Amino acid sequence: MKADEPAEKITQRILTAFFAAGLALVLAMAVTDLPEGVGLSGDAQESLKQSGVENSVTAVLLNFRGYDTLLEICVLLLSVLGVMTLTNGRIRRPEYSIDPLLHVLARVLVPLMVLVSGYLLYEGSYAPGGAFQAGAVLGSAIVLSRLAGLAAVEKFNRAFLVAAMLGFAVFLIIAVIPLAYGRNFIEYPPEYAGILIFTIEASLTISIAIILYSLFSGGSAIPSRSHPGGRKN
Amino acid sequence: MQEIITTAPWGALMVVIPLAAAAASYLFPWRSALMAASAIAFPAAFYSLALLARDVWVSGAVRYRIGGWGSPLGIDLFADGLSILMLFMTIVVVMAASIYSSFYFSGDVERKRSFWPLWMFLWAGLNGVFLSGDVFNLYVTLEVMVIASVALISLKGGREALLSGMRYFLVSVLGSLSYLMGVAMLYGSYGILDIGALGRTIGPDPAAQIAIVLIVTGLLAKTALFPLHFWLPKAHASAPVPVSAALSALVVKAPFYIILRLWTDVFSHDIISHAGLMLGVLGSVAIIWGGVMALRQTRLKMLVAYSTVSQIGYLFLFFPMAGSSDAFLGCVYQALSHGLAKASMFLAAGNLIKALGSDLIEDLRGLRQRLNISTFAFGLAGISLMGLPPGAGFIAKWQLLKASIETGQWWWAIIIVAGGLLAAGYLFPVLRNIISQSQDPVECAKVPFGMEAAAIVLAVLSLVLGIAAAVPLSLFRTALL
Repeated sequence: MKADEPAEKITQRILTAFFAAGLALVLAMAVTDLPEGVGLSGDAQESLKQSGVENSVTAVLLNFRGYDTLLEICVLLLSVLGVMTLTNGRIRRPEYSIDPLLHVLARVLVPLMVLVSGYLLYEGSYAPGGAFQAGAVLGSAIVLSRLAGLAAVEKFNRAFLVAAMLGFAVFLIIAVIPLAYGRNFIEYPPEYAGILIFTIEASLTISIAIILYSLFSGGSAIPSRSHPGGRKN
Repeated sequence: MQEIITTAPWGALMVVIPLAAAAASYLFPWRSALMAASAIAFPAAFYSLALLARDVWVSGAVRYRIGGWGSPLGIDLFADGLSILMLFMTIVVVMAASIYSSFYFSGDVERKRSFWPLWMFLWAGLNGVFLSGDVFNLYVTLEVMVIASVALISLKGGREALLSGMRYFLVSVLGSLSYLMGVAMLYGSYGILDIGALGRTIGPDPAAQIAIVLIVTGLLAKTALFPLHFWLPKAHASAPVPVSAALSALVVKAPFYIILRLWTDVFSHDIISHAGLMLGVLGSVAIIWGGVMALRQTRLKMLVAYSTVSQIGYLFLFFPMAGSSDAFLGCVYQALSHGLAKASMFLAAGNLIKALGSDLIEDLRGLRQRLNISTFAFGLAGISLMGLPPGAGFIAKWQLLKASIETGQWWWAIIIVAGGLLAAGYLFPVLRNIISQSQDPVECAKVPFGMEAAAIVLAVLSLVLGIAAAVPLSLFRTALL
């Protein structure tokens, strides 16, 4: 804290701290008051057989509450659209020279990370894992190769946009198809549920990786004081 | 209330159609593709909404099991008269603002490409909120709506838009987290997320009470009720014009809708004894404060935005009079009439500003000769906002007045009348300036007919909603019984 900071700001901070502490206290009291063993994990276990996967987390995410996940993918996509809006589609270039050691390390690590990502995706249907974890690993592989000078993406080009959208589009199409067969929205036929969920997860993995990479390299959006206009065009 | 489980996918389609339109406009950002997408999406959505409304009319309320699982394991969509009216307001405003946008963004390729997907996602999020029957799903739909809104506000670029977009984002995220903590608390206590089931099991436990405080406070920040309104005027005023219209007309209504829904369906009276009175007081302060601040504005869009702060206050007069059906009807009618009138007013104001190249109220002289239609739209919307007959705002304020007399809480009536007078006070000077003749011939930029038409259609609809009040009133009586 700077010495010349106005007293008003310090008062504000003290008040905020008191408010936060009070809220934390009330929440802690309420949480200790909660009953035990309440929840839907029992129901989820019972319905697991019809869900097409053996891992209950994947079943909840992609089947029982698949609608929530569909909308969450929208949120991820929206965040990328927001970044694109702010940066006019440009990707920030790294401003430093690339470390040769990092370059060598990345050449070893990136293939391994792609492999791990594929394994996590595959594993998601019967154990903890799935599209989000696999996408995060794949995304960091792309980030690493970018930092090490392996990938050279300068602009959000069309292929990039399509890849970011892929998971959402595939999910939406698979969610709507049951309507044509007189079933409800996102009601997969049990005999195909496994393969449908895997298709969704595979495409989500790619999209999530691309989305995370876009967010990483989106650039600084808030204009600095020297450029009050913000955008150039 | 009567309720049936349906397998007709009309509610789900109300979310799927905008999502598909968003995907299409994202992948194919060309003019012809956009035209084709909206030419399919809007009629299809209207058709789905009409059939959903028919089902609600026949059965009272309908529930749709997504994935066929049903609550508590799955997510249910839920629609009653209240949802139908909100969905109807949404599609009308979104359509009019879409027509407006197709002119507003023409020639600006870069922004147009981002605008349409964001816009369609915003519509999807709004429909999702109005159709959700699950408290966690409401959180997700709210997020879709908020992130889309933030990106749309920042679309204009420039320091002011980015800063007010950022402020809105931070307040909104804080509100969301508060809401989410409340939902976690409810799930921890009762193990369910379905609104109907929660209403049947909730009791006066401390955890439930804290959950309600967290949920309502979070939503109040998002709906911008005084004193949590500070982010609204700048965010709404600095956004692109069609976005301002959607933000003021629709986006602040969604969190309000959730409060109303939970208040009537989940929170029983013994859990929230004095909270209603407090919300009523905050609403009253908002009416007066928003009105006074609007009086002091020199810029047109800021005036219209402060008027939203004031008009939101009326919505909260329902809570202290929650037992009265007149109060409920008045509050819902206020949401609808303000939605249509304020969207129209923002679009009309956008036209005036575009024609003039300035948004100072004192510069708006002699515009009537050039912009008859927009002037007329601004005036008609103003009638509704002031609560004069035959605007829909009159029906809303009349119902609220009736409720305040019936329940013996006459003091709300003073606020309602004072708010109307304030609205007249800040709107008449604007109209006087526009209508007044100016000595010098006015230099005007041309405003496309489509932009003027969008404003006048909404203004006329807000009048029609006032004249033909019987149909919507009987539709949302189904939400009560």
